[in-house]
Amino acid sequence: MTEIRTNTNKWLVKTEKNKKGIVGKLILTAILLIIGILNIYPFLFMLSSSFKPLNQMFEYPIQLIPRTFILQNYKNLFLPEYYFTRWYANTLTMITLTVALKTFIVSMTAYAFARLRFKGRDIIFLVFLAAMMMPPDVTIIPKYVIFKFINITDTMWSLILPSTFDVFFVFMLRQFFITIPMSLSEAAIIDGCSHFKVFYKIILPLTKPAMITMTIFTFVWGWNDYMNPYIFISDTRKQMLTVGIKLFTTSMASDYTTQMAAATLVLIPVLILFLFAQKFFIEGITTSGVKG
Amino acid sequence: MMKKKKLSIAEKEALTGVLFIFPYALGFLIFHALPFILSFVISMTDLRFISKISEVRFIFFDNFLEMFNDPYFWEAFSKSVQYTVIYVPLIMLLSLMLALMVNKKIYAKNAIKTMIFMPYISNIVAIAIVWGLLLDPIEGPINNLLMTLGMTNPPMWLMGAKTALPTVVIIAVWQGMGLQFITYLAALQGVPRELIEASQIDGANRWKSFIHVTLPMISPTTFFLTITSIISSLKNFSVVHALTEGGPGTSTRVLALNIVRETFASYRMGYASAQAIFVFVFILIITVIQWKGQRRFVSY
Repeated sequence: MTEIRTNTNKWLVKTEKNKKGIVGKLILTAILLIIGILNIYPFLFMLSSSFKPLNQMFEYPIQLIPRTFILQNYKNLFLPEYYFTRWYANTLTMITLTVALKTFIVSMTAYAFARLRFKGRDIIFLVFLAAMMMPPDVTIIPKYVIFKFINITDTMWSLILPSTFDVFFVFMLRQFFITIPMSLSEAAIIDGCSHFKVFYKIILPLTKPAMITMTIFTFVWGWNDYMNPYIFISDTRKQMLTVGIKLFTTSMASDYTTQMAAATLVLIPVLILFLFAQKFFIEGITTSGVKG
Repeated sequence: MMKKKKLSIAEKEALTGVLFIFPYALGFLIFHALPFILSFVISMTDLRFISKISEVRFIFFDNFLEMFNDPYFWEAFSKSVQYTVIYVPLIMLLSLMLALMVNKKIYAKNAIKTMIFMPYISNIVAIAIVWGLLLDPIEGPINNLLMTLGMTNPPMWLMGAKTALPTVVIIAVWQGMGLQFITYLAALQGVPRELIEASQIDGANRWKSFIHVTLPMISPTTFFLTITSIISSLKNFSVVHALTEGGPGTSTRVLALNIVRETFASYRMGYASAQAIFVFVFILIITVIQWKGQRRFVSY
């Protein structure tokens, strides 16, 4: 009897605890959701304004769902007097080339450092590592001088090339390549396979997550880069999106809703990429620290 | 016979290795190493226009002497320091607090993580456009709200000489927080639950077990984040330039902006390089001091 009683007591205590747990969980979730929504409020404001006529934009209190829903702001962006489409195309071309070149060169280099033995390998690798400490901003002026000298200012190569020879991802990929058992490639080599074949038939497929992480970050950094195009590209038609929309806003200062449409279209590709690749994004950051 | 064959495999391997790193090494030299070395050389010259590079004179440390007597340089330096002093504690504290909350048992964890992380991947100019509107002193919804709440003289935000710098910093914190938050979250997940439970069995309350167990366990992360956030706040060109271009007046002209101004508005590349070298050395000294000091508060 007493046993049963204590058992029911235990059970009662347990459900009470659970209830308390659920309430706590709900409250904390609610608080965090409010913080989260406040955190992305600027984006919600941007999105809703981009579909509003100009005279409704500053109506107070703000209506996040537009009273009159229009597409004119987006149409404005594609008027021939703006270079918006051009900037978009420039940026996409630049990023595609960067990703292609960088994936190839960086992964090949990392493969050599991780899986091939040659004289001076470790010393060279140390030099590359030390370069990770170099702040890129210090070298802006000499870079400008060099780019002028080899005649690549005002072309997208002035953005592609420095990013291609990325130090950080050589380091990161090397760490991944090292973890793959040596015996896997040794067997293939003895069978007469070339190192290049081993590299792209065996090693690359095994390090897909690392390669995807590199691609995503290259895309996002390239897409959002502001300083480099601002400094190395002066021809408006050759400009990248980030600097482009800045020029665009100063030339049409009062058309706020069109600016909001522009800002929305700039953010969309990265947001889509992020939502699809969220797992790799967050894992990539947590496993590697990623540079700020 | 056997030996010869083995050697040739090793030789082949070495040759492949050199071939594989050659393109990278060449690019690295041209686009990273050479610029770094050149920045020291240029800082000792009076380089102005690249077209007149043949007339360049070596003036050794004159740029540095001038810099130390230049009030604009010191003003920019003080803006950078102010920026860092507000930015670093604010971003560290906020991201740790958020990470602690998200690390608890909650619903919709992924959605919340995404919402906090989102500003980090967003384009800085797009962000500047939106914040510029939200914070517009006259028409902006934020000041409209403040005025309905009874404030008669709401702040000028990005347009006020006194408020511009703190406003820029707050937006920068909001934008950069996602990365710190995720890093902290990962660190917190590495803290063994048993340790916290054990400390609580020993009679520690939540606050005490946080101070004595969690905080020491995540101290390497705190150390890493302090260093990286000091560095990134001292070379913060993009955020500041996109938001204010250094204005109003010179109120947000931090070092990075001053350097670019000297280079492309005053065409004084030698002088600007000297300032860049100063930033580099300054960052290096701070990092070394932190590195030396870490033993006191970082426990591995």
